[in-house]
Amino acid sequence: MPAGGKPPAGYLMEVCVPPIIELKDIYKIYPNGVMANKGVDFSVNAGEIHALVGENGAGKSTLMKIIYGMEKPTEGKVFVEGVERHFNSSRDAIDAGIGMVHQNFMLVPSFTVAENIVLGQEPTKNGLLKKRQAIDETLQISQQYGLRVDPEAIVDTINVGMRQRVEILKALYRGANILILDEPTAVLTPQETQELFSAIRKLVDQGKTVVFITHKLREVKEVSDRVTVMRKGKAIGTLPTEEATRESLARMMVGREVLMRVDKPPSERGRKVMEVQNLSYVDETGRRVLNNVSFNIYAGEILGIAGVEGNGQTELVEILTGLRPATSGDALVNGNPVLNKTPREVRMAKVSHIPEDRLTNGLALEASINENLIVDRYFRSPFRKGTSIDYKTVRDFGAQSIKEYGILTPDGDLPVASLSGGNMQKVIVAREFTSDPELLIAAQPTRGIDVGATEFVREQLVQKRTEGTAVLLVSADLGEVMSLSDRIIAVYEGEITGVFPDAESLGEEELGLYMLGIKKQPAEEMEVLL
Amino acid sequence: MIRKLYMKPFVREFLRILLAITISLGLGFIITLLVSDDPVGAYQAFLTGPLTRINRTGEWIKETITLTLLGLSVALVFKANLFSLGQEGQMLLGALVSGSISLFVPLPAILRIPLALIAAMVVGYLFGALPGYLKAHLNANEIVSTLMLNAIALRLYDYFLIFHIKPEGAGYNASDFFPKEGILPTFIPNVPFLAEAYELFSRRANITIMLYIAIAVVILTWYVMYRTPYGYELRMLGANSKFASYGGINTKKTIVLAFAVSGIVSGLAGAHLGMGIHEKLIANITIGIAFEGIVVALLARNNPIAVPFAALAYGYLRAGADIMERTSDVSREMVLVIQAIIILLVTAERVLPIIQQRVNAARANNNLSMNSEKPALEEGG
Repeated sequence: MPAGGKPPAGYLMEVCVPPIIELKDIYKIYPNGVMANKGVDFSVNAGEIHALVGENGAGKSTLMKIIYGMEKPTEGKVFVEGVERHFNSSRDAIDAGIGMVHQNFMLVPSFTVAENIVLGQEPTKNGLLKKRQAIDETLQISQQYGLRVDPEAIVDTINVGMRQRVEILKALYRGANILILDEPTAVLTPQETQELFSAIRKLVDQGKTVVFITHKLREVKEVSDRVTVMRKGKAIGTLPTEEATRESLARMMVGREVLMRVDKPPSERGRKVMEVQNLSYVDETGRRVLNNVSFNIYAGEILGIAGVEGNGQTELVEILTGLRPATSGDALVNGNPVLNKTPREVRMAKVSHIPEDRLTNGLALEASINENLIVDRYFRSPFRKGTSIDYKTVRDFGAQSIKEYGILTPDGDLPVASLSGGNMQKVIVAREFTSDPELLIAAQPTRGIDVGATEFVREQLVQKRTEGTAVLLVSADLGEVMSLSDRIIAVYEGEITGVFPDAESLGEEELGLYMLGIKKQPAEEMEVLL
Repeated sequence: MIRKLYMKPFVREFLRILLAITISLGLGFIITLLVSDDPVGAYQAFLTGPLTRINRTGEWIKETITLTLLGLSVALVFKANLFSLGQEGQMLLGALVSGSISLFVPLPAILRIPLALIAAMVVGYLFGALPGYLKAHLNANEIVSTLMLNAIALRLYDYFLIFHIKPEGAGYNASDFFPKEGILPTFIPNVPFLAEAYELFSRRANITIMLYIAIAVVILTWYVMYRTPYGYELRMLGANSKFASYGGINTKKTIVLAFAVSGIVSGLAGAHLGMGIHEKLIANITIGIAFEGIVVALLARNNPIAVPFAALAYGYLRAGADIMERTSDVSREMVLVIQAIIILLVTAERVLPIIQQRVNAARANNNLSMNSEKPALEEGG
């Protein structure tokens, strides 16, 4: 240790003090069989800013929840300040000086900032909240850590940036020494991000330790002392930030994808089916989620969108399918405008949609399989006869779909909830493929389903495209995008960073650089290829 | 064989309710033991009261008709996973409009009665559409808005009753009795070979043709809910509103219609209060029954076909409680406690956790054998 003054933050301390948090050989298997962590070793040194990066589904959040006591590891050990701990709940973790700020804030919207901060540890007198004291304490802690808040504002009325500061203060008020921030910048504007970073630096100056999850490599370089990269449930490596380059991190994050073999005949590109022009979207909080996105999709091709989740793909799909209004721009299907139309109007323009989250909007679980199969067509012939729905036709159609798409069920009148995940997805695929679409928008079509169903869905997608349907494929599974797509566009922070007309010859590392915003094609070059 | 029968949801549900009723009646008796000097007599009055005299049976059936209509009205909203407390206001206005037509429109019965009923349904539809519109387009909380609209309807009803309908100089807040042309006829047609029954019922237990109308409404509601595109939209909205909008259903329109169609049925229930039960308009005409449709719908699990049976059972309970109160030393309060226990046990989702668990286990077994490829792991997605 250098003589005099406080030791430099970060990895140098490793040699003299045990890490403040150490995880050894952590395995986590969820009850549904998902293995989120596979033998992770992870350590954080006191007084450092430690960045944890990786794509969605890499197991970052699970790992942090284990530290925070929200999840119990299936195997492995947790040490805090050198002592092994078994947290039964986040309460235990809080008592051990660990605080966590989640992606979705957990504040009481109708309470004031001060009330939220002291909630659970309120200064009271005769069982009543001492309001003045709560406000004073809030002001004091807010000044101490340089996190500006208005103690008397109602949480419902304050912006996202301030809500986040309230969450951080709440953790600090409970005596947190170690602060875990789960994707803190995902909801912030660039200015707010800068404010957050300076607050984090201030916290560390005052002896706190900060772990933050992100998948923005720029932020890693900007604020962290050390960085750990996770991929597919494993910690790939930890290194001092100054030794890391964005390229090396990107390589660690994306890794080498195992491409599956998909038999697909060469694409015969037909006429232009969809045309998207200068599409922009600013969300409710003022964040620019999509910025001047333009592209075309042609009959008989699969256009894949490659990008880390959260870079505008979800919103793009929702806008193109009528579930979300756009801020500006245009989108045409066969020359007919589809922007800011209702989902029914979009569907009538021969667009079908496999949604990203089948349980949220792809299916009605308690309704029968048959009824789930007709949501886009119950109102027209042959399903509607006169004033009523012809349930004989519905049942026949159901039986036929069950057979054709191999949905494993004894009876189409059973609720969808009785099916396995893969079979649920087949119900969606059956519905969306049998509506005779000219444009098929498939978002995460194989997420969370078993190998057999995955293969089936992929084959069906390729077959549709070979039959002349235009397909827009959005997937967080880079291997899937690369092996299915004929053409790929990379997106980063709501902008297209690259267009690759020949998906097959593209290297995943090269693509990763575009997905993480490290490289960008010049506009003129892209224009030709879009 | 028995096991197979037990697997049928209907049989299971029936057994569940039977057991819940048995347990709650037992609890009810224990309470009666504690508060009554003649517990057996009091409880007997409660259990058999509605069947002891024909007029008591008549009261029970008439109440059942109102409860059936209200239960259907609530089920229509509940099915869409919405909530409405607006039946009171819709009934009041339905009673007011149909009552005014019965009293003042000089048409023969054959025209006057249908006109009055249709008017009650129209006003119920319109008044029901209001909270639906507020909910769909302004995102107003439907519990608050329906309650507030009830208050408005109540004042309107009182205003018209007191200042325009009640006879001048009368010292009570009620209209004149409706003329014969404005009262629903007895459910037994006045034909020679049924003369005796007609006489008996019209004198002692005046059950009206609303009985047939209610049965028709039950069937119609079932048909609308399970066989029409509108019913499909309603049920999909209730099952998963995000799925409904994703699939292209106009959810706003569906919400407005859910409330409005529910209002039609409540309006009809209001007409029944005036033209079938009281035969005049009185103050507080809906008191004690306004919110009972919710219990009926809960008991029937929003299934229109089950609604009249739930209404019969619940109506019986109400009638029995009434008779116990009048004929024994058990106070009204205790009667209500017993009634509430029964409802609580029957409607509570997890009343009988043991049975529930066994049912779930059986269901899971079923699923396992069904999804032989990759069971447990994928269960539930």
